[in-house]
Amino acid sequence: MESILALTARHGYSIVFLAVLAESLSLPIPAALAMIAGGALAASGMLNIGWVLAVCVIAMILADSLIYYFGRTMGWWLLALLCKVSLNPETCVLRSAESFYKRGRTTLVIAKFIPGVATMAAPLAGSMKMRPGQFLIYDLAGAFLYAFVYTGLGYVFHNFLSVMVHGFEAAGHLAVLVTAIAVVVYFGYRIRIYLKNRIYREVPRAAIEELRRKLDSGDGSVMLVDVRSHGYYDAGASRILGSIRLEPNSLAEKLHDLPKDREIYLYCT
Amino acid sequence: MREATSARVAHLVREQGYNAFVITGGLDAWRKDGGATEIVPEDDLVLLPTFN
Repeated sequence: MESILALTARHGYSIVFLAVLAESLSLPIPAALAMIAGGALAASGMLNIGWVLAVCVIAMILADSLIYYFGRTMGWWLLALLCKVSLNPETCVLRSAESFYKRGRTTLVIAKFIPGVATMAAPLAGSMKMRPGQFLIYDLAGAFLYAFVYTGLGYVFHNFLSVMVHGFEAAGHLAVLVTAIAVVVYFGYRIRIYLKNRIYREVPRAAIEELRRKLDSGDGSVMLVDVRSHGYYDAGASRILGSIRLEPNSLAEKLHDLPKDREIYLYCT
Repeated sequence: MREATSARVAHLVREQGYNAFVITGGLDAWRKDGGATEIVPEDDLVLLPTFN
């Protein structure tokens, strides 16, 4: 972390800009420290506090706008990709969307202070078609607040910069420990699910060629069922011709719609 | 595991006495094999909330 301080002292605005841009693009860069350093350098007269703030805000707005644009153009695909690492990918998209819809504007303002939420906020705003102007206003407010707090800390407490750096180092070590524990718990959970799912490997599979032969025979014994959760959020989504949808999260209610006298072929992505 | 959702659902469906199978490779394999697809009808789309 000392190296970021040294870099900031040497390169000034450019290193603050790059650190904030990188963190806003979800890279593991401690932008807060660069902003504190920028604030401290401004207090000592080496940089201008107004420009430090402006550089931070511009970097955040650039990165967030890019991610927002991806979310807006890719629809729910980007969010589904981010949700793949969640504990329950099947409900992650739906719950994230509902939660952001209720608190989206407030979330955008405070998201940068909350790891994880910061990564999801801009793509959610894009996927949920928040108007660009509205997104910019709330994101600007959030970016300004984030930059103001950290550059302000550096500016006001510049005489205690080494104390703050040590504080950040201690917080960083704690964060690493917490992250390591979370990763172990996550992989433990995944291994448990993997072992629990072994039984599903025994379900009979059908290759595409085999399915085609059955469909070509035209005896009507085949029923194609799409059980994807993520495939039905965007207009223009496609599925196998002639298939029906079975929502996996409401299987119990829909089960009686299936015929027992036909062969049911299920597929997901 | 590939086909995680379809395998899970097929297992549950088979437990209820249905004759269910999993399509190996899923929709991606079907597309790669040149299989015909259709646009999901609007009635089947899940409309997530949007700010529009």
